Amino acid sequence: MTGQAHPVPAWVVHRRSYRDTSLLLELLTRDHGRIGAVARGARGQRSRWRGVLEPFQPVLVNWAGRGELATLTFAEAGGRPLRFPGTRLAGAFYLSELLLRLLRRDDPVPDVFVAYGDALTSLAAADQPEDVPLRLFEKRLLEGLGYGLLLDSTADTGRPVDPGARYRYELEYGPVEADPEAAGLVISGAALLALAREELADEALRGEVQRLMRAAVGLYIGARPLQSRALYASLRRTDLSQEQEP
Amino acid sequence: MAYSPLIEQLIDSLRALPGVGPKSAQRMAFHLLLRDRRGGAALADVLAAAMERVGECRDCHLPTEDEQCPICASDRRDPALLCLVESPADVFALEQATDYQGRYFVLGGRLSPLDGIGPAELGLDRLEERLRAGEVREVILATSPTVEGEATSQYVAELARANGATCSRIAHGVPMGGELETVDSGTLSHAFAGRRGY
Repeated sequence: MTGQAHPVPAWVVHRRSYRDTSLLLELLTRDHGRIGAVARGARGQRSRWRGVLEPFQPVLVNWAGRGELATLTFAEAGGRPLRFPGTRLAGAFYLSELLLRLLRRDDPVPDVFVAYGDALTSLAAADQPEDVPLRLFEKRLLEGLGYGLLLDSTADTGRPVDPGARYRYELEYGPVEADPEAAGLVISGAALLALAREELADEALRGEVQRLMRAAVGLYIGARPLQSRALYASLRRTDLSQEQEP
Repeated sequence: MAYSPLIEQLIDSLRALPGVGPKSAQRMAFHLLLRDRRGGAALADVLAAAMERVGECRDCHLPTEDEQCPICASDRRDPALLCLVESPADVFALEQATDYQGRYFVLGGRLSPLDGIGPAELGLDRLEERLRAGEVREVILATSPTVEGEATSQYVAELARANGATCSRIAHGVPMGGELETVDSGTLSHAFAGRRGY
């Protein structure tokens, strides 16, 4: 993890105070994965990085050093700043918490970089219901980490998934044809195919997909609950015009 | 070389102060010991008393040695206005800069899901109790312009609305005396989106 010849695009995933005037950053880059970096003096009154190293924003960065923590040597805005109205901000926290919980440092997965950027951009643009980018990011993140879900054919017989049929989803295995009274994680073929094609305009199917993804993500994040989920739920408490919780 | 144990301990203790490293701690210790014994003794007394007696105001959580801080105790302050800030230092900054005549609520932090700080950790239930009591008519959000500050503001705004109070937020924008081309793009985009009739 040494520096680059030229600054590279990155996303600021998280940022916390470090010592008196510095910041500790979690950056996501395409070819170097998640990087922990110290931005020295970034919280000082006269820092040239003021307002640049904000969470969920695109930046151009360069860094130096090996080992656990790099030192940031360059940073500037990498595009138009994104703004997240209302509960969409909680959505951005959710994407980032998921990323930090599942992706280790220095484990480059270019698809995850792209998926994170797509999800943030879509959340900020408010061009579709706010849970759609969350579901797609969950799917692509699991795929990128090698935990991808089997969605278009059954796990036991290998037959293509029928949109009219119902399936029991066995995590880490796949969908198996289910009789009508089957218990457990039952999901329609239509919902599986909608997720496979990344076409989630239908709200009822999104509800099914949410149950599936929550179970699948839950398998890998462990027992500690996601804080952003609680924030999302509490923001929605009095704001029921919004969509599903993540 | 090593100092005697007591001096060593003094130097170590001074390093509890922010921005003080071993060198400055040593300078401070010798300054007090060699040049200003009386000042040092007074500092020791007031430090001990403050550590012992200063708690926080039961209403706004501003540090004070009394049950209520002077702002909450004053009857010239409008109890219908409540300004939400993150830290006690923010209260003093606002008191110096504005002629605000309402009261404050000090959070002592901000919502930060990625660091495990949720509404319960911040004590937002106490704010909810206060809003439910019904005396507050307007909440002024003065959290810092960061995503965590914004999340905190959103959460409190929902609480306020649920309890029948109106909500406003301090403006975010271009600093006085600044030139547009030197303002960072995040601030400028906020300022542009939040422009007002003129």
